[in-house]
Amino acid sequence: MNTLIDRLAKLFSISDVVHQRPNLAFVTTPMENTIHLITHLRDRESFSLFVMLSCVDWIEDNQFQLTYVLNNPTEKIDVGIRCFINRDSATMESAHYLWKQVATYQRELKEMYGIDFPGSPRVDESFILEGWDNIPPMRRDFDTKKYSEETFFPRERPQSNDPAQYMKSKLYPDE
Amino acid sequence: MSFKDVLIPFKAWGNFFKEPVTLKNPMREAAPRYRGFHKNNVNECIGCGTCESICENEAIVMIPVDSVETKNGDSGLRPMVDYGRCCWCGLCVDVCTTNSLSLSNEYTWVAEDPEEMKYIPGVDKKPWDENEKGWKKPEGNFSYYPLERPHMQELHPEDRDHSFIEIVKGYSDEEALLEADRCVECGICTATCPAHMGIPEYIKAIRNKDVEEGLRIMYETNPLPEICGRICTHKCETVCSLGHRGEPISIRWLKRYIADQVPTSKYAEVLRQDSVEQNGKKVAIVGAGPAGLSAAYYLRQLGYSVTIFEKLIAAGGMMRYGIPEYRLPYDQIDKDVDYILAQGVDIKYNTEIGKDIAFEKLEQDFNAVYVATGLHSGRSTRVPGSDHAMVFQAIDLLRKITLGEPIEVAEKVVVIGGGNVAMDITRSMARLQKIKYGKVNVIATALESEDKMPADREEIVEAREENAVINPGWGPREIVVENNTVKGLKVVRCLSVFDETGRFNPSFDEADTNFFEADMVVESIGQGADLGFIPASYMEKLEKDPRGRIKVDPHTYQSSLEWLFMGGDIIEGPDVIHGVANGHKAAKGIDLLLNK
Amino acid sequence: MSFLNLKADRSKYPQRDADGKMQIDLDSHKFVKLWQGPNHPGVTGNMSVELTLAGDEIVEAKTHVGYLHRGFEKLIERRLFIQGMQTSIRMCVAEPDSNEYVYCTAIEELSNVEIPEMAKWIRTLILEMARLQSLVRVVPGQAGTFGLGLGVQWGVYMRELILDRFEELTGGRVYHMFMTPGGVRGLLPDGFKTRMEENLKEIESFAHRIDDLIFNNVVFKKRAVDTAVIDPSWIDNYGITGFVARSAGFNRDVRKSFPYLIYDQLDFEPKVMEYSDIYNRAKVRWFDILTTVDLIRQIMRKMPEKGDFKAQTPNVLHWTAPKGETYVRSESSRGEYGMYVVTDGTNKPRRVNLRGVSYTHAICVLEDLLVGVNIADVAAVMVSLQTCPPEIER
Repeated sequence: MNTLIDRLAKLFSISDVVHQRPNLAFVTTPMENTIHLITHLRDRESFSLFVMLSCVDWIEDNQFQLTYVLNNPTEKIDVGIRCFINRDSATMESAHYLWKQVATYQRELKEMYGIDFPGSPRVDESFILEGWDNIPPMRRDFDTKKYSEETFFPRERPQSNDPAQYMKSKLYPDE
Repeated sequence: MSFKDVLIPFKAWGNFFKEPVTLKNPMREAAPRYRGFHKNNVNECIGCGTCESICENEAIVMIPVDSVETKNGDSGLRPMVDYGRCCWCGLCVDVCTTNSLSLSNEYTWVAEDPEEMKYIPGVDKKPWDENEKGWKKPEGNFSYYPLERPHMQELHPEDRDHSFIEIVKGYSDEEALLEADRCVECGICTATCPAHMGIPEYIKAIRNKDVEEGLRIMYETNPLPEICGRICTHKCETVCSLGHRGEPISIRWLKRYIADQVPTSKYAEVLRQDSVEQNGKKVAIVGAGPAGLSAAYYLRQLGYSVTIFEKLIAAGGMMRYGIPEYRLPYDQIDKDVDYILAQGVDIKYNTEIGKDIAFEKLEQDFNAVYVATGLHSGRSTRVPGSDHAMVFQAIDLLRKITLGEPIEVAEKVVVIGGGNVAMDITRSMARLQKIKYGKVNVIATALESEDKMPADREEIVEAREENAVINPGWGPREIVVENNTVKGLKVVRCLSVFDETGRFNPSFDEADTNFFEADMVVESIGQGADLGFIPASYMEKLEKDPRGRIKVDPHTYQSSLEWLFMGGDIIEGPDVIHGVANGHKAAKGIDLLLNK
Repeated sequence: MSFLNLKADRSKYPQRDADGKMQIDLDSHKFVKLWQGPNHPGVTGNMSVELTLAGDEIVEAKTHVGYLHRGFEKLIERRLFIQGMQTSIRMCVAEPDSNEYVYCTAIEELSNVEIPEMAKWIRTLILEMARLQSLVRVVPGQAGTFGLGLGVQWGVYMRELILDRFEELTGGRVYHMFMTPGGVRGLLPDGFKTRMEENLKEIESFAHRIDDLIFNNVVFKKRAVDTAVIDPSWIDNYGITGFVARSAGFNRDVRKSFPYLIYDQLDFEPKVMEYSDIYNRAKVRWFDILTTVDLIRQIMRKMPEKGDFKAQTPNVLHWTAPKGETYVRSESSRGEYGMYVVTDGTNKPRRVNLRGVSYTHAICVLEDLLVGVNIADVAAVMVSLQTCPPEIER
C-alpha cells in the first residue's frame, strides 16, 4: 500500500493521505486530476473494480467532497480518492465511460446533491424523486423534519416534561 | 436434460403424507427474549427520562403520574410509550438507569383508535404487567455508559500522615472528561442540591471543554466552588440516577475540577460582572462564613453596599477554622473569598458585634442585617471529669490549629464523637502526634455503631490509614482523673442510640465496659450557636418555634423583625452548601424587602 | 397485418443511428411499452422495469426506483451513533443484519473501539443465519418465477424456522437490532445450539428436496439454462460481486478476500461456477445454502461458551467520534455490501452511504441483461440477480 501511494505521489499531486486500515487508504487530489488518477489506477494498477462514488456536504467550507472508492481484487486493497468541488457551481467531470455503474451514481448525485456531470448518460432524468420541487434533499441545508411537517400530516406528540424543570415546579417553584 | 428430469420432481408428492406445519390459534407464545410491549416497575423507576433521551423515534414522553410523589431522587414523572412511533429496539430498556423498564414478550394487541395504542407502563394496567418473560437488560456488566468512576489520585497514607498537605489531588483533564461523559443529564440531582446548582449544565461544559462556561454556571448559584468542590456534603450524589446501578457521578470532584482550571487572575474576565448598578442601600452581614459570603456576593450582584463584620482575623468561618487544611487548603479558601471580597464587599475583621460594635447600631446604620454566625461553641458530654484542664472541645482545638496558636498534644489522646468534626480532630491530632512523637496514639470512640456513624465513610477509612483507631459503639461514662491527671476514658457498650419513636435516647449494656487510656480527651459531640450578642430586648421580640429556635421565613430567611435576616448553620445544616443556599435566598429576600 | 410480419422482421428492429442509439418509434406499432411493477408479483420488492418490446422480446429496459425512498441516509445524519443502527437496518429488509454489521463496524473503527472476541463470534453467527434465511427463500423463488410455487412455500417455512431462532437469540424476527456499536446485546440462550441443529438438519433435507424439485426439473432447465447469460467481461466493467460473479468464474467473496470478524478461523470454500446463466446463478446459491449450514455448525462448535460480549463504550448519549472516514464491507447473500461513513468530530455521523449490491445489479446490469430476453423471463432475471430495491433508494 505504501509503495502504491509513493508511486502515485510521483505522478499525481496527492495530499492528505490517511491509512485507515492496512488495506484501505484515502488520498485527496485536485478535481482536475481526479479522473486521470482513477483511470491510471484502473489501467495501470489493477484497480479493476469500482466500489462506489459518494458525496459529503461540507457546507461550512462551501465544498462538496466526492469520494471514489476503488478496489484491487488481486492485491485485495482499496483506495478512496477524495476531491473537493465548489458547492455553488457544483460540476464534476464524468467518469461514466470507465465503469458502467458510474453513470447511476452520477445520476443520483445530480438529484440528491445537485452536482452536474456533463455528458453522463441520463444524468438529468429523475432517479428516485419524481416531481421533486425543493433543493436537492441530501444537501445539509435541507431540513427533513421541517419538510415532512409541512408536507405531511404530523401526528401530535404529547408534551413531555424535563425532570429537572418539573421537579423545580413541584419542589421549589419560588426559588 | 434427460427423462429423469421429468420424473424426479414428482418426489414432491411425498409431502402429501406429512403433517402440515401451519400454526393454529391461539397464537404461540413468543420467545423469552422477545421484544414486546413495555413494562415498568413504577416503584423502582425514578423518572430520570434517559429512556426518552435515547429513543430515536420520540416514542417516549415523560408524564406526571398521580400515584407517584415528586421527591428528592424521584421526579414523579413516568415514561409513556406511543406505539405509533416505537420500533421495539429496546434501547430504552438497555439504557435505563434503574433497571425498572423492560419489555414483555406479548405481541398481540389491537386497537382501532391509534390514540389508544399508548400507555404509561406500570401505571396503566395491562395484561402483560405480570409477565416475567420478555427483553431485559443483558446480564453482566453490560452498560451503555461506564458505571465506575475514574480512580481519584490521593496522597498515600505514609506521605500524608505527618503533614497537612491536601490529600485529594483532583481530576486531570482526561479523568474529568471521562467522568463528565458518564452523566446522563437527567437533572434529578438539581432539586436535591440545597443551592439547586445547574449540575448537568456545568458537567456538560466540561464535556465541551469549556470550563469557563462551567464556572459561570456555578457562580449563578454558588460563589464558593473551590470550597464546595472539596468539602461539600454532596447530597446530589446520593440521588444521582447512575448510583442505582453503579457509582454516582462524582459531582463534587467535577465542580472542583472546573474551579481548579480557572486561575484567580481570570475570574473577573470569565465571570464578566464588573458593571453593577449601585442602588445606594446598605446591608450589614454578621459573620464571614459561607452563608455570609454567599449573601454578600449576591447582594453585590444586586447593587447593594455590603459590610461584613467578622470576629476573627480572616474570612471563611467554619470552612477555615473548622475544616483541617489537608481537606481544604487555605489558599483555596482565599481564592473563593478574595473573589467575593473583590466585588466591593467591605469587611471588618476582628470586629465582634456586642463588644466592638453594638447590635443596635447595625439596625440604625443599615437598611437590613443578615446574621450568619454559625455554630462555634462545642457541647460537652458533662460526664465526671469533663471539666478537667486536659479535656478540650474539638472545635476550639481546630480553630487554634488554623490560627497557629500552640495546643496541647499528648502522647495518648481519646476523641469522643463520631461525626466529621470528630474525624477532623482525630486526624489532626494523629498528624500532630506523628510530628511530635513520631508515632500515633489516638482513639476515636462514638456512641453509634460503625455502620451508623454520621461521619463520611471515606473519613473513617482514611483516619485508619493514618493509624488512628476508630472504636465505635461506646457511651462515655467517666473521664478518670487521678492525682489531677487524666488517666483515660471509661465507657460502656451502647446498644442503640435512638428509641422506637426516633428520639435521641441511648440504651446501654452496663455489664460491657471498656477503658481507653489517655493523657488528653477531646469532646466532639456537636456544636451550638452563641447568639449572646443579640440583646435581650431584641430576643424577646423574635418569634420562636416550639423548640425555642428563632423562626425565619423558609424562602427569604427573614425573621419576625422585618430588617433582620438569619441564616447559615444557626438555621439549617450544618454544612457549607446549605449556608450558600440560604445566603443566596436571604440576599433575594433582602432585595424583596428593600426594593418593594 | 403489420404485427404478423413483425416476427419475420425482428432482426431489423430496433434500428440504430450512427452513434448506436436505438430508434424506437412507438407510433410505428412495431414496439410496445410495458411497465412491469411497481406492483407486480414478478418483481422483487417495489421497483418497476420500463420495458420496450418488439413482439415478446425486450429491446430496451429501464429500471425505475423510488417507490419506497425514505431517506434513511439523511435520517442517520440527524441521529446519535447508537440510534443510527436502528435506522440503518431498514435499508434492506430481507437481510438487515448486514446493515447492522457494516454500520456498527464503521462506527467502532472511527471511534477506536475494539469489540470482544465473543461478540465477533455472535456477529458472525447472526450474519450467517441471515444469509441462510435469505437463501432458503430466494433459491426456490427462482423456480417460483417460472410458475413453480411449491418450493417457495417450503422455503418460506424454512425461513420461519431460522426466524424462530433469531427471535430466541435477538428478541426480534425480521429486524434483529442485536448488534450494537461495541459488541452485541447478549449471549446465546440455553439450548439454542440444539434447536439450531434440528433446524439445520431440516434445511439440509429441504435443500435436497428442492434439488429434486427444481434443479432436476425439465421445465426449469428448459427455461433457465442459457437464459440471460452474463459474460465474464461484464464482471469488473459492471462492478458485479457476490454469487453473480462467482457463477461466472470469479472467485470473489468478501469473507475470503477481506476476512472480517472470525471468518479466517472458519473452513469454507465458496462455490465457483463457470457459466453465468439463470440456472447456474440459482445453483451457486443452492450450494451457498449448504456452505452456510456448514458454517453455522462450525461457528456453534468453535465459539467460546462465555465471555464479554460488549466493550465498554463512551456514554452513548454523548458519544462523539473524531473526524474521519472509512469504508466497511461485508458479504451479504447478494454480494458485496458496504458502507462509507464520514464523521466530523460531533456526536452524529456526517455522512452514511450504503453501497447496496443491487445498486449495480438491478440497474446497469439488469437493464443490459434484459435486452433480448423474452418478456416471460423478466421476473426470473430479476430474481436471478436477487435484486433488492430498498438498498438502491436508501
